[in-house]
Amino acid sequence: MRLYRRALEPRATVALAAAIGLGVLAGCSSNTPSAGTSPSPTAAASTGAATVRTSQCGIKPGVKATGTPIPLGGIVTNQPGTSFTDIANMANAYFTCVNDNGGINGHPIKYYIESEQTNPGQIGAEAKQLVQTDHVVGIVGNTSIIECSIDHSYWQKLGFFVVDSGIAPECWSTPNSAAVNMGPRYSSDGAVQYALAQHVSKVVFDQSNVPGTGYIAAGPAALAAAAHTPIVQLTENVPITDANSVAIKEVDDAGPNGAVVLNFTPPEALVILQAAQKLGLENRVKLWGCSTPCNTDFLAKALGPKWNHKLFVNAELTPALTGSPAMNLYQAILAQYGKAVSGGIGSFSQMGFVEAQILVHALHTVHGAYTVASVNAAIKAVKNFNTGMLCQPWTYGNYPMHIPNNEDYTTTPDNGHMVLAQGCTQISSVDPQIAAYRKVAG
Amino acid sequence: MPSWQDFQPFIVSGLALGGVYALSGVGTVVLYQATGVLYLAFGAVGAMGALIAWSLTNAGAPDWVAWLVCVAFGGVVTLGYGMLFGPPLARRGPLVKAVATLGLTLVLFGVMDLLWTANGGQSRAITLPTDNGGFMVGQVQVTWTQVIGLGAGVALVVVTGAFLRYTKLGTAMRAMANDREITATLGVPVRRVEAAAWLGCGVIAGVAGLLLADLVALDATTLTFLVISSLAAALIARLRSVTLTFVAAIAIGLVHDLVTPIQSLSNYRDMTPFVLAAVALLVLSRHRVISLSPEEG
Amino acid sequence: MLDTASSAAAARQHPPLRRPGPRILVRAAVIAALLLFVLLALPQLLSLYYIDTMTQVAVYCVVALGLGVLVGRVGLVSLGQAAVLAIGAWVAARLLFATTQPYPLVLLEAGLVTMAAGTLIGLPALRLRGLYLALITLMLAGAITVVLATTNFPNGGHGFLGYNGAAVHIPAIRRPSIAASDPAYFRYSVVVAALMFLLVFAHIRTRPGRAWAAIRQSEPAALAAGINTTLYKLWAFALASFVTGVAGGVLAGAVHYLYSIDFPAQDSITLLAVVLMGGAYSLWGAIVAALLLELLPALLNNWGVSADWLTILFGLGVLQVLTTAPAGLADQVPKDLARLGRLLRRLPAGRRERPAPPGQGPAQEPAGGPR
Repeated sequence: MRLYRRALEPRATVALAAAIGLGVLAGCSSNTPSAGTSPSPTAAASTGAATVRTSQCGIKPGVKATGTPIPLGGIVTNQPGTSFTDIANMANAYFTCVNDNGGINGHPIKYYIESEQTNPGQIGAEAKQLVQTDHVVGIVGNTSIIECSIDHSYWQKLGFFVVDSGIAPECWSTPNSAAVNMGPRYSSDGAVQYALAQHVSKVVFDQSNVPGTGYIAAGPAALAAAAHTPIVQLTENVPITDANSVAIKEVDDAGPNGAVVLNFTPPEALVILQAAQKLGLENRVKLWGCSTPCNTDFLAKALGPKWNHKLFVNAELTPALTGSPAMNLYQAILAQYGKAVSGGIGSFSQMGFVEAQILVHALHTVHGAYTVASVNAAIKAVKNFNTGMLCQPWTYGNYPMHIPNNEDYTTTPDNGHMVLAQGCTQISSVDPQIAAYRKVAG
Repeated sequence: MPSWQDFQPFIVSGLALGGVYALSGVGTVVLYQATGVLYLAFGAVGAMGALIAWSLTNAGAPDWVAWLVCVAFGGVVTLGYGMLFGPPLARRGPLVKAVATLGLTLVLFGVMDLLWTANGGQSRAITLPTDNGGFMVGQVQVTWTQVIGLGAGVALVVVTGAFLRYTKLGTAMRAMANDREITATLGVPVRRVEAAAWLGCGVIAGVAGLLLADLVALDATTLTFLVISSLAAALIARLRSVTLTFVAAIAIGLVHDLVTPIQSLSNYRDMTPFVLAAVALLVLSRHRVISLSPEEG
Repeated sequence: MLDTASSAAAARQHPPLRRPGPRILVRAAVIAALLLFVLLALPQLLSLYYIDTMTQVAVYCVVALGLGVLVGRVGLVSLGQAAVLAIGAWVAARLLFATTQPYPLVLLEAGLVTMAAGTLIGLPALRLRGLYLALITLMLAGAITVVLATTNFPNGGHGFLGYNGAAVHIPAIRRPSIAASDPAYFRYSVVVAALMFLLVFAHIRTRPGRAWAAIRQSEPAALAAGINTTLYKLWAFALASFVTGVAGGVLAGAVHYLYSIDFPAQDSITLLAVVLMGGAYSLWGAIVAALLLELLPALLNNWGVSADWLTILFGLGVLQVLTTAPAGLADQVPKDLARLGRLLRRLPAGRRERPAPPGQGPAQEPAGGPR
């Protein structure tokens, strides 16, 4: 609804039409971080250890940056039913950590976060606000249902190379945007690819009716065609009020040897899967699949043991339970600076962390003044950066399109947790966009 | 054209959906008959109660406490609204009173999003113990919660119908809904009857909210605006007959789901409540003018 | 307004017929000056963020105007105006992609098609009153919203619907060649809005306006007086839909990209809320309504206040308006200011005068306050 947002709304109503491509890997079901996983960030209980840990984010531990600030900006959706503020807030937490530990060559980063309610006029205006009023030199952390579509020509005109967590097609198909996630199309590709690898006889791909359904559906369609498997494409208006009919339709269309692959936000996917279970339909197809949003422990817990190893979810980011240095730093920063990150440990904050990492890495390579030109040249030059959270090193590059994250995991629920079902697997080049990217990026 | 086999499971799910619409629609019409107000905040009040129940359960409170709080919340908020805004608007027409409840809807909606944000992509769900059991009808399973939902709708129709018609309090409520001033001159304790009406309606909204949160989704937007679709059933009954509202709601649910397997219409099936309501009203009004009160001409 | 009692009271305070006089000329001059200021000075003073916001204000001014005609002048509450706006935007977008017609022509065509559609939505008005009418317009809006969710908005594709679902790059909706930049487009939208206001003003001052006033006061009496109520009610819907359709066309050019998730049925409810708060009867009320709907959220966004507070504010506003100030802010604020002025004038002299009568009801106030 136009009550920013949108109250009322399917749009707000509807405004539940959210973004796919983002998932929550939650150890936390509500607000408690790290449900019993080990390298616990609550080693921040002993402040000495925590400070050492978080200070790894900066180059001069303990030294506060006091120079002229480097302004950066980000636009995220925040409306009833859909909120991506966690991504921007986590990036902000990272920047704050950097500012506390030397900054960028002594300069603190000032991060302006604009929230929008899926109103194209508002989104365009906020982009101009960031550039003209806040004078930002870089755009990072954008996570919006439609922002890439609306602003991409503006960013192109001004020479901004955006690092975002995309949703709309333009986040991957334009020269001025590179995403850290795979987004609805490529994540759905991953889920469908896994289903096809299990030799199902038919695929039913159901997604929420948000902008870009045709673009999203084209990926699975190509994969199914290459595997000579019939595919049925469905869309549902969100928010779903009648999950029963949706579940019955999907199961009927898939048949006993078929697969149902979903592309919805966690609440909607949960409602469909729960309806299928209440109707007793969960065993009537060979397997169920889901794009990244389903990758959350909360979903695993809510679904219960009947879905163990029956639902296969494409995961764009490394599970947060692995104890790598990047994960430790992420959890430490979250604990110390991430008060505004209400979702705690999960894909959203992971994405914010990765995007901030990339920006800081780029900023460190800038010599001289921090201008739009110098900063964005540095961002574009990021190559083979190891984020510690993705399957492959991340590259921006000077290409007409960007799909830098095109390798994924597959996870499955197991007694209340999402566990690994398949390690890093490349998304197939059968998807023409993936093929096109691999051709330009080499 | 799909076969009869294909339609069968949709009959079951259609009845379940009809039960959902019936619960919401009948509740609204009952409130209208008891207070003269089309309580458009019915969904919002129930949704907020359900969210409060969710928070309590999450914090470790026993289920029955959470449910009780949900129902009590519905009663208190509705009673408060009725006592505050009932008297000043008593002399205005039904349209003004209904629009005023839209104001309450907006307030509640804003509060819900402030307190229960859509952070981190997590989803909330209410599960009732009756979700786990059920019985098979054809190829699909029907849970006890769905049966309770349908049963609650029927109970509401029967009980409130009898209450409004055969008890003294009920008759007083109907009289007040018709004309508050004349009823007052007849010696009916207007404020007390009014309070009873609002409180009762609020309790119904709370119970319905809990059931709907389980049957549909625990989401503020969905539950608040479910009332728009269930209004269709109320409109078909011209806000006069609770029984007709129930029947209309079941019909809407059935048609909505039976359209699902028909490929060409499937994407448009969410239009069902609206189209049916519009058609019904236009057919019913083709010979005469329909209005709710003398004030509206 | 919403019911005959309060609207009759409001009508008595603002008699529709008035002979032109010096007050009117002064008012016209003030409005002209304000318009010039907005057109010439405002774009220089505001940042692009606010210019974009004010363009939205201009668009929604007109939408609120249309709803104000229905609700305030004739007493028909329509909860379907968001759908009407969507239709106007759809038609304009389709024409802009499919043809190279000049912009004013596209706006006109969008207005006319929307007028036809809106009149169809208004046909039930002939037989339904009050709450039923409001609810059925809500139902029709809901139906249109579902259709739009499936057909989507044109995005440069082919066929009747003009929607290419698989588009990797969605082309932007074009703007008029004379108004491509944001400040220029703002001026363009203000000019279009002013023309729409003029159109409505002309209606109000002539026969339709008088007929509407008679219908609002008492439809049987109007019928008895020989007024063709059917015609004038449909005319009101036609006018409201026409201006809303034109506003939809301006909106299409303003935002460049249209999505069906942007026009949910609930928007109509918010629209009604702000129109009530701004004042359904007065033309100024439409501007206040648009400022509430578009400028206030932009300001709150900049101040870091959550948009939910605005939702709560609108809800409280509706309650307040309906219980205490039926004619809305546009009517209430000048009255309050006038009362304040009188209070201030009394203080220094310390005279014991009879307190001024309260602002509501059949007032003996001089016919003051803007209309």
